[in-house]
Amino acid sequence: MRKWLVCLAIFLTLTLMAATVRVLLWDDALTQALREGLPEFEKKTGIKVELELVPSATLLQKTLISVTAERSDYDLIAVDEPNIPLVAPLLLSFAQWPETKFYTRPSMADIMPLALEAGQWKGEFKGLPVNANVYIWLTRKDIIEKYKDEFKKEYGYEMRVPKTLQELLDMAKFLSKKGIYGWAPFTKPTEGATCEAIWMFESFGTKVLQVTDKGYNVVLDKQKAIEAINFYKELLKYAPPGALDYGHAERVAAFSRGEVFSMFNWPALVPDIENPEKSLVAGNVVYTEPPAGPVKTAAVRGCWIVAIPLAAKEKTAAAEFAYWWMSVETGRKLIPKGLTPARESLLRDPVYSKERPWFLGIYQSMQYAIERPRFERYPEVSQVIRNNWLDAVSGRVSPEVAVDRMVEEINAVLKKYGY
Amino acid sequence: MFVLPALIVVGVILAYPVIYALVISFTDRELLYLGKTNFIGLKHYREMLLDRNFWHSLRLQFGVITIAIPIELIIGLFVAILFNRDFPFSKILRSLLMLPVFVLPVLSGLTWRLMLQPSYGVLASFFNFISLGPTAWLADTRYAYVAILLQDIWRMWPFMFMIIYAGLSSMPSEYVEAARIDGANFFQRFWYVLLPYLKPVIATAFLLRMIDALRIFSEVYVMTYGGPSNATMLLSLYIHKQAFEFGRLSYAASVAVFLLIVALFISYFVVKRGLRGEVE
Amino acid sequence: MRKRVISFVVLSVALLIVLVELFPIMVVIVNGFKRDIDIWSKNPFYFKPTLRSYQLIFRHREFPRSLRNSFVVASLSALVSVSLGSMAAYGLSRFNFKFNDALIFILLMVRMIPQISLAVPFYMIFRSIGLNDNVLGLSLAHISFNLPYVVALLLPFFSSIPKEYEEAAKVDGCKTFQIFLKIFFPLASAGIVVAAVFAFLMSWNEFIYALVLTGTRAKTAPIVVNAFMGQYAPLWGQLSAAGTIMLLPVFAVTLSLQRYIIRGLSAGGIKG
Repeated sequence: MRKWLVCLAIFLTLTLMAATVRVLLWDDALTQALREGLPEFEKKTGIKVELELVPSATLLQKTLISVTAERSDYDLIAVDEPNIPLVAPLLLSFAQWPETKFYTRPSMADIMPLALEAGQWKGEFKGLPVNANVYIWLTRKDIIEKYKDEFKKEYGYEMRVPKTLQELLDMAKFLSKKGIYGWAPFTKPTEGATCEAIWMFESFGTKVLQVTDKGYNVVLDKQKAIEAINFYKELLKYAPPGALDYGHAERVAAFSRGEVFSMFNWPALVPDIENPEKSLVAGNVVYTEPPAGPVKTAAVRGCWIVAIPLAAKEKTAAAEFAYWWMSVETGRKLIPKGLTPARESLLRDPVYSKERPWFLGIYQSMQYAIERPRFERYPEVSQVIRNNWLDAVSGRVSPEVAVDRMVEEINAVLKKYGY
Repeated sequence: MFVLPALIVVGVILAYPVIYALVISFTDRELLYLGKTNFIGLKHYREMLLDRNFWHSLRLQFGVITIAIPIELIIGLFVAILFNRDFPFSKILRSLLMLPVFVLPVLSGLTWRLMLQPSYGVLASFFNFISLGPTAWLADTRYAYVAILLQDIWRMWPFMFMIIYAGLSSMPSEYVEAARIDGANFFQRFWYVLLPYLKPVIATAFLLRMIDALRIFSEVYVMTYGGPSNATMLLSLYIHKQAFEFGRLSYAASVAVFLLIVALFISYFVVKRGLRGEVE
Repeated sequence: MRKRVISFVVLSVALLIVLVELFPIMVVIVNGFKRDIDIWSKNPFYFKPTLRSYQLIFRHREFPRSLRNSFVVASLSALVSVSLGSMAAYGLSRFNFKFNDALIFILLMVRMIPQISLAVPFYMIFRSIGLNDNVLGLSLAHISFNLPYVVALLLPFFSSIPKEYEEAAKVDGCKTFQIFLKIFFPLASAGIVVAAVFAFLMSWNEFIYALVLTGTRAKTAPIVVNAFMGQYAPLWGQLSAAGTIMLLPVFAVTLSLQRYIIRGLSAGGIKG
């Protein structure tokens, strides 16, 4: 009887002492894999985890519902790269994260350097970069295999994973005669369309907004921007019907149906494409960096960081959780369940590259990562970029007018907020 | 005593938010407010009136009233006349017709989006077959708007039908009989007997639908998200975007207040009409 | 004979209209019995029925809970709206207050406020008092459109009850509240049923407030249904299956209560 009581007492104290850490993350294959690892973490640390996953498009709104400077419903939140400047004032800087007992701070040297950079704002790390999210390029190797020779006869070089945008265009032209669409864009009026614009602009050698210590300058080069738009329009001729209304769902569907030869995607969507239950092209895809433009190869980066709100109650437990997530052991355990690591050592590990060829693709792409403008008012700037970009590539207005408007409207946003 | 609880609740959850919105609209408070909130007077209203996107969105929202509702009315009217007689199964068919009115707007929007998918949507295949419009309706600025209106017409004409039908069935049959005996043909009967009789009913239905049209949001949100470009960015979506994508809560509140005033203006007529009807 | 022919023609036309009109709903139902991939990789008429999508949504991490939330929010807001609303409608129709007409006018008018206008202030108020992402908070928001609606719907019902009933009850020595509960409530029961059903449905279908005011805990089913079109391959099968389930109360109500509905709608619609 006494033994029981002691047990009960210990159990009670343990439960009462056990911290509960509330974590708010985006919802995809990666974070779902994380869920699978929770029991182990809870067992080791005695910290209970309440993990809430929301679609990435609504994450910012949900974050701002529940986190203010004075009060926070969550102890650890994920923040998408372009939103860091906006949310930064609410976050504990990474340097001030508390000491932990069970897990140690990951070696920053092993985190992909460009992913690391994503967590920075005004010279300070605002959180821990937890994924290496970047455009990776998908190409169907079975199509290459099938038309290699025929293509060579016509164009004089062998069909391969397109190394340049020009090659992509050649192959798209060629494949259109075979009933295959060479490429698929992202054209829904959401953040994805802004990414496309930035990707093309950078590939053609121009940026939209320069952020310096002195302030913000619109630096869009009209000539280069117009070239980029015209090239994109050319590519659009070889995209599937309805390509001017293409979001994630449409793109994945078109690619998985086997209609599309080559396009970008975010790593989180790749597991679906490699899942035979959801895709007709599983096993036939090569993953690389995007084809180079005339000036450079550009891969838009959209890393997530996890951060501790200033008002969080369980800061130590939150740090434990983040460190656990980033540890090599956790990575090894959860990769088979769908985790995409941010550590170079794991991404390049040959153990995984066979079954998960996109890991190497992520690694390669990350070398060419570019970022979207960093700016507290980014959402509005993004809207300006995407609307004018879409107007131009869909032919509603001429590229010249669109570029002029883009510059003018961004300047108006800057002016509105007194920058 | 009986009215009080309801009044208190309405005061707390309706009047207070409305006043709150009004007050906020004169300040610069934002989604992520850290410092103190400043009073900025009518600045937001000025910005709103100068924003061409605002006017564009307003036009789109009103387009529903000027384009979709009259079509709904016409379909509803003729189907009501068709149903206003005895024929087998008329009752069950009538109630089946009501289903779309109660379908969740989100589901309706999503289903139309599915049906309009260029490579696997039923409706898209059909439109292509009869060569109507572009392959991808939702990718075309003009047809995306048409699609939205079509969706609304599909869902809401039965509402018009129901109300007109109810009005028709209460119409004394002597009216039509008398006209028939006088030798009036169908169109004369329709024009001189039916329409005048139904006029108040139609007017009320129209006004009710106008208010509805100012509320349209979720169907469009899930169908096009305001796109392509801004082609279907109704005022309600504009407000939502300003508030929750750009974080400009107080500016969004100004636009919301504007929409509120328009809606109250219209509902003033609806209610006045309804009350008068009651007195008669 | 001529009559038979006409009625046959009318029937066929009516049948055609109904078929066309219900087509999208049939699309939803049929797609619920397809696999996600079959919907977007085969032609629209390919159909190999399977219960896979239904299995998936019931094992889905969020859908069952959101369905429960929807049910709770809809019931709660309908219940509160109907109890307070019927009392208010009774009071307004039976007693002559000084501001009676003005009150009726205001109540009828606020019924028509567009939700999006209130979404922003609700969001801000709820955030400051911690009612965001809370089933109770969402129910409150729903009451804001349901309560005035119920009053508007019930007013004519109560006014149409003859004065004699009340006087008879008074003679029997009933107190005012008892009169309401024992006499008027049953007499207006048809209207009250309609009001409850409509309030439930409006809340069940509601999207804007749910979108703006809830996070993960109080999320209702329409939000989850929309999330099937997230950033993955489109899950049309599961979306349709979940949609079909959401439609069940709609079917039940429109088909079984149709006599009431027509009455209720014409009362609420025409006179309101």
